[in-house]
Amino acid sequence: MSLVTIIENIAKIMGRYWYVFLVKGVGYTLLLSIIVLVCGAILGSIMAIGKGSKFAPLRWIITAVVEVVRGTPSLLQLYIGYFFVPKLLNIEGLSAQMQAFVCCAIALIINSAAYVSEIVRSGIEAVDKGQTEASRSLGLNSFTTMTKIILPQAIKNILPALGNEFIVVIKETSLASTFFVGDLMTAYLEVKGATYLSTECLIIVGAIYFVLTFTLSKIMGVAERKMKAHA
Amino acid sequence: MLNVNNIYKNFGDLKVLKGVSTEIKAGEVVSIIGASGSGKSTLLRCMNLLETPTFGEVWMEGKLLTPVDPYLHPEVIACSNTYKKLVAEGMSSGDAIVKIKAEDLLNEKFSSAEGKEYRAAMKKIYDENYIDINVARQKMGMVFQQFNLFNNLSVKENIMFAPVSIGLAKIRKAKRKNLLIKLGNLFKKEKKELIEITETKESIKAEAEAKAMELLRRIGLEEKADVYPSTLSGGQKQRIAIIRALAMNPEVMLFDEPTSALDPEMIGEVLDLMKELANEGMTMVIVTHEMGFAREVSDRVLFVDEGYIKEDRPPEELFKSPEDPRLRDFLSKVL
Repeated sequence: MSLVTIIENIAKIMGRYWYVFLVKGVGYTLLLSIIVLVCGAILGSIMAIGKGSKFAPLRWIITAVVEVVRGTPSLLQLYIGYFFVPKLLNIEGLSAQMQAFVCCAIALIINSAAYVSEIVRSGIEAVDKGQTEASRSLGLNSFTTMTKIILPQAIKNILPALGNEFIVVIKETSLASTFFVGDLMTAYLEVKGATYLSTECLIIVGAIYFVLTFTLSKIMGVAERKMKAHA
Repeated sequence: MLNVNNIYKNFGDLKVLKGVSTEIKAGEVVSIIGASGSGKSTLLRCMNLLETPTFGEVWMEGKLLTPVDPYLHPEVIACSNTYKKLVAEGMSSGDAIVKIKAEDLLNEKFSSAEGKEYRAAMKKIYDENYIDINVARQKMGMVFQQFNLFNNLSVKENIMFAPVSIGLAKIRKAKRKNLLIKLGNLFKKEKKELIEITETKESIKAEAEAKAMELLRRIGLEEKADVYPSTLSGGQKQRIAIIRALAMNPEVMLFDEPTSALDPEMIGEVLDLMKELANEGMTMVIVTHEMGFAREVSDRVLFVDEGYIKEDRPPEELFKSPEDPRLRDFLSKVL
């Protein structure tokens, strides 16, 4: 099989199945990624702040979650999510594919939140203690100090690490194809089943993933530069 | 104005302050001198509770900032179970207090087994005199050795930050209260009056901005209003830190070695601004290594050493005829 045939086959596959890859596959992957990114970042930040709390049991719970998530494979976490979430939430009204989607999203959110919380915590700790003291000495409460002074500076410091984590999240969503949630890897399985052209389909899917992550890394680069512009 | 009452501060095994008391009167300029590690910065930081004293109380204008220290209130100690037991055993009340205190100092906490009456007596004093620390700090400006300007805000935003945040929080609180009153009015015949909110978000911001610009003009840095702190020199940063504290119209200003991190040629501009403040009658507490400055502006100089205030006298006397041998030693090294 020559390179020429591979390129020809890719062209043929894209001609016939572009909708499956570019609309369905990219759509579900992006939807899943964005949900996980946003919810994971918010939950992760809350966990990071919670880890600095005076209430010890809260700190223990967060540490336990982070350690367990870090210490177990993502695929295993997805399986647990897939079988466990339906017992907690009533999602029977949804189609089978949407049920899998919700389960995977929840599992990935918890996974991402654990990593984000560690990143945000390191960022918070890297901000000079004097900033907190200056703000508190002016009579501002700890919440205002955290949201207006500490977090903006922490986020600036951790943007590169956060961008990395976001790219990892986009790639990890591919694990969700195990449960046929309709993402890019599911599209690959579908088209491969119909055409038996495994290599070509993998090249197509790989290229699309790369375009997605490369775009994100460029966007993060712009955000970094904008934040570096002052201070 | 500011009363420090028998302050102890331990950092783990390290005992930094061992029973320090002093009073800062309104309009007074007090300098605190001493070798590094003597506890002078800790004493200053205890005044606005950036460090919480292990024992002792800090009062500001008749309001209690710290938790109640039972040893400063004999009537509280008198309610304690241990005290009653000791007195019943025939110990004099003075000895009993000394004994209880010694034990608690050893354990670094107030004994919890002193009974309901004791806790109630403590709570009563607390409730009568308590003031929210954030409210108290709004009247206490603090200037740090490392400037601590907010890196994510421009110079003007740095100065406006506290007045705007606190002003907006007040509006939000008033609005919340009004909502509750309105809800209450639905069910009651006697209508309660709503709180009048005269300020808006815009008016607070405009006012804070005008004040910020006025302060910047005062120190001749108005052209730096929109730059970020990282582009400023040390002297500029420290002067802005001072007017940032002034923007809250504080009643007392605390300075923690304000010139120690500055290049020599910039110390003058900061000291000049502080002198100006002193001449305007601002109450100031200054931890400093600038003996000449302390001598010139202070009404009183405290020499802190080994966790105690060893001398507390007007500067002319203290510098001319130091009594404490450690002070003599210290002055011979720095002068």
